[in-house]
Amino acid sequence: MASVGAPAEHTRMFSPLHRRMAATGSRYAILVLFGVITLYPFILVVSTGLRDPVSINVNPFALFENIRLATISDAWTLGGFGGYFKNTLLITVPTVAGTIVLSTMAGYALARIQFPGRNLIFFTFMLGLMIPFTSIMIPLFYELIDLGLFGSVWAVILPGIAGSAGFGVPLGIFLMRAFFQDLPNELAEAARVDGATEFQVFRKVMLPLAAPGIAVLGVLVFFQSWNQFLMPLLYLPGEENRPLSTGLYIFASGRVQDFELIAAGSVIMILPVIVIFLIFQRTFVKGVTAGALKG
Amino acid sequence: MAETKVATRPRPASRGRRRAIARRAGASTARGSELWTAALFIAPALALYILLMLIPFLNSVYFSLTDWNGATLAKNFVGLANYAEMLQDPQLYEAFRNNLVWIVIGTVVPVSVGLLLAMIMWSTPRFALVFRTLFFLPYLLPIVVVGLVWNWIYHPLYGVLNSFLELIGFDYLTRGWLADGDTALYAVLGAAIWSAFGFVTVLLFAGLQGVNTDVVDAAAIDGANWLQRARYVVIPAIAPVLTLVTSITLIGGFAVIDFIIVMTNGGPGNRTSVLGFYAYNQAFQRNSVGYGTAVSILITVLSLVAAVVFIKLREGGRERG
Repeated sequence: MASVGAPAEHTRMFSPLHRRMAATGSRYAILVLFGVITLYPFILVVSTGLRDPVSINVNPFALFENIRLATISDAWTLGGFGGYFKNTLLITVPTVAGTIVLSTMAGYALARIQFPGRNLIFFTFMLGLMIPFTSIMIPLFYELIDLGLFGSVWAVILPGIAGSAGFGVPLGIFLMRAFFQDLPNELAEAARVDGATEFQVFRKVMLPLAAPGIAVLGVLVFFQSWNQFLMPLLYLPGEENRPLSTGLYIFASGRVQDFELIAAGSVIMILPVIVIFLIFQRTFVKGVTAGALKG
Repeated sequence: MAETKVATRPRPASRGRRRAIARRAGASTARGSELWTAALFIAPALALYILLMLIPFLNSVYFSLTDWNGATLAKNFVGLANYAEMLQDPQLYEAFRNNLVWIVIGTVVPVSVGLLLAMIMWSTPRFALVFRTLFFLPYLLPIVVVGLVWNWIYHPLYGVLNSFLELIGFDYLTRGWLADGDTALYAVLGAAIWSAFGFVTVLLFAGLQGVNTDVVDAAAIDGANWLQRARYVVIPAIAPVLTLVTSITLIGGFAVIDFIIVMTNGGPGNRTSVLGFYAYNQAFQRNSVGYGTAVSILITVLSLVAAVVFIKLREGGRERG
């Protein structure tokens, strides 16, 4: 990290001290300015979500006035966000698990087993990374009706795993194949010599080594599935399976604007993602950059 | 379905297939079991992908050649009539114009801001990681929440944007930003840029970690100022990442729809309608499934063209590098 500072340090030798300090100062000023722009909407949501509804109509967006923690629990119970939270979990957990299992298996086969048509299959999957959801949302709507999935959580889980909304097996295979390709061959060969079947080689030798890659894929799919809006909007119209995203949207589209409950619902929705991000930050950033940079 | 594709695809002429047969015939049972493992491992992912990705994709081509309204059993084949209609549809042109504005501003602004911030973080590394975490946060937010919060920021009575303008004496600029046809599209774009610039910043910052600082130092010793070092040394060094983030942002811009639904639903009038929203609106709100699907095909073609141009650009960049 220290060497990165070199450009700034070299200017030191040529410029007077105060000029350098002004330059550094203006750089931090820009960072702080954008930091404020970044943070203000977060502060607005959190502070509005903690408002007492009695006072909210005077100035709904005054920051941290009349704080009332119970607003969050009101949203959870009265606003119905507790139920939406449960539904979001019921969609996200199978989506993440399914994407991990299917992409790990297919990514392994595409990376480490020689067979005819391998590249064709890989490129077929990669086509999925280029097809935007907008291109398939209309036929998928009618297909899900025909399949009898429309309105059930599977109408969002299965297309999610398939990659319809951009984060399923195409992305997973892309990441896991690259990951398995980077693993050394010696261990697998040793296991084969010892008489392990192909499945045992995968399960006992390669899979444990792939844990970091699986973690990256897991957090990536988790936050995109948790946040997704269009698929639930189109394919889960009913109240009983509604997740947080469309629950919040429909709640906020109502005639009466309960600002404090909308904000509290938003806090409920974003909190798990922020917490997981702060815990797995390295994995997270690695996932986002690897997903984009590796190709 | 996948198993037939993988293991017994009826193409005797293929060289790989002959190799596979030779392997199996060559008394190597391990090879045979490898093939079965590959087939079993790929089949579930491929089956789901074909069912819920490729079939709807092919169906979108089919639907676009019909006048289907979504309710009748029969889909009347109308050839290219929907595409001919698109050429004379003023609402489509309006959506296309708005989409172009969206793509240009929605790409140029986050990439410039991201480049500026990434280079500052790179050259003043103290607290750089704190700022990286901070700038990345908006990218994690669901678009529903981003849209709702920015609705409040743009609120005509209580919004902070109007309060701020009044505070600095620009009272005459205050308005309902999302209700005013002249500003609505830019207001939605503002929210979208806010949620995307951190992603661009983090990617460019990651790209900068690979830049050789000796070269930058040498340029500094030769008397190049900050701007010159950025222009002639640093930016060329991260050109591949820069092309990449630019094209990701650009391609995403063709398909944007969620911000529009959450913030304006296309209004006022059609002033914030973009291609994706127009396709959604036609198919799901006006029952013109055939026509809406034709619009979605236009989006597909535009984004595939953009993706191919981008791949060419990258390959070109690699050859030169």
